[in-house]
Amino acid sequence: MTFEPGNRVRVRASEKPGHVRTPEYLRGKTGRVESVLGEFPNPEDLAYGLSGRPERLLYKVSFRQTDLWNDYEGPGDDRLYADVYEHWLEPDEGETT
Amino acid sequence: MAGVHDLGGSSGGPIDRSQHETEDWERLADAITIALDKKGIKTTDQHRRALESLDNYRELAYYERWVAATEKLLVEKGILTSKEIDQRSAEVARRWSGTR
Repeated sequence: MTFEPGNRVRVRASEKPGHVRTPEYLRGKTGRVESVLGEFPNPEDLAYGLSGRPERLLYKVSFRQTDLWNDYEGPGDDRLYADVYEHWLEPDEGETT
Repeated sequence: MAGVHDLGGSSGGPIDRSQHETEDWERLADAITIALDKKGIKTTDQHRRALESLDNYRELAYYERWVAATEKLLVEKGILTSKEIDQRSAEVARRWSGTR
């Protein structure tokens, strides 16, 4: 396993074409791994009739809402939770928030 | 560049929240899609990919997208041709309108 709960990660700013499961608004953003959800066939390959193997680790990652939206007006500690596959994540050395 | 379906966080104006009674063709669209899944002909992942790649995505209603994506997959897999689907659709339309 590459990441563990508590690790700070950055979502890759990839512009991979085709079917992807990582929403645009998360790309390049940093968050915190909350939990490891398990290994699943890669839906980006399944979408084209491929096997989706090897399976990819899926993480629940949380992001500070204020890191995602410039005009966020809610409480500063509000977080957004998203399921992100490992190949979309890279380690971030910053301080865990 | 985000796909046409990937709208999170973008300003899209007010949302049309009006509802309508489910129509028979919408039930059929749902049933056909699920039947094809159960028969192992297509998968939800493939259907999503086909939906997202529809050129006229924004002009279509929810189940119109489903039907168009299902057609795209059936043609892509060589199970039906567009011509066969169009001919059959025209036949059903004629029958429905009672002109035959």
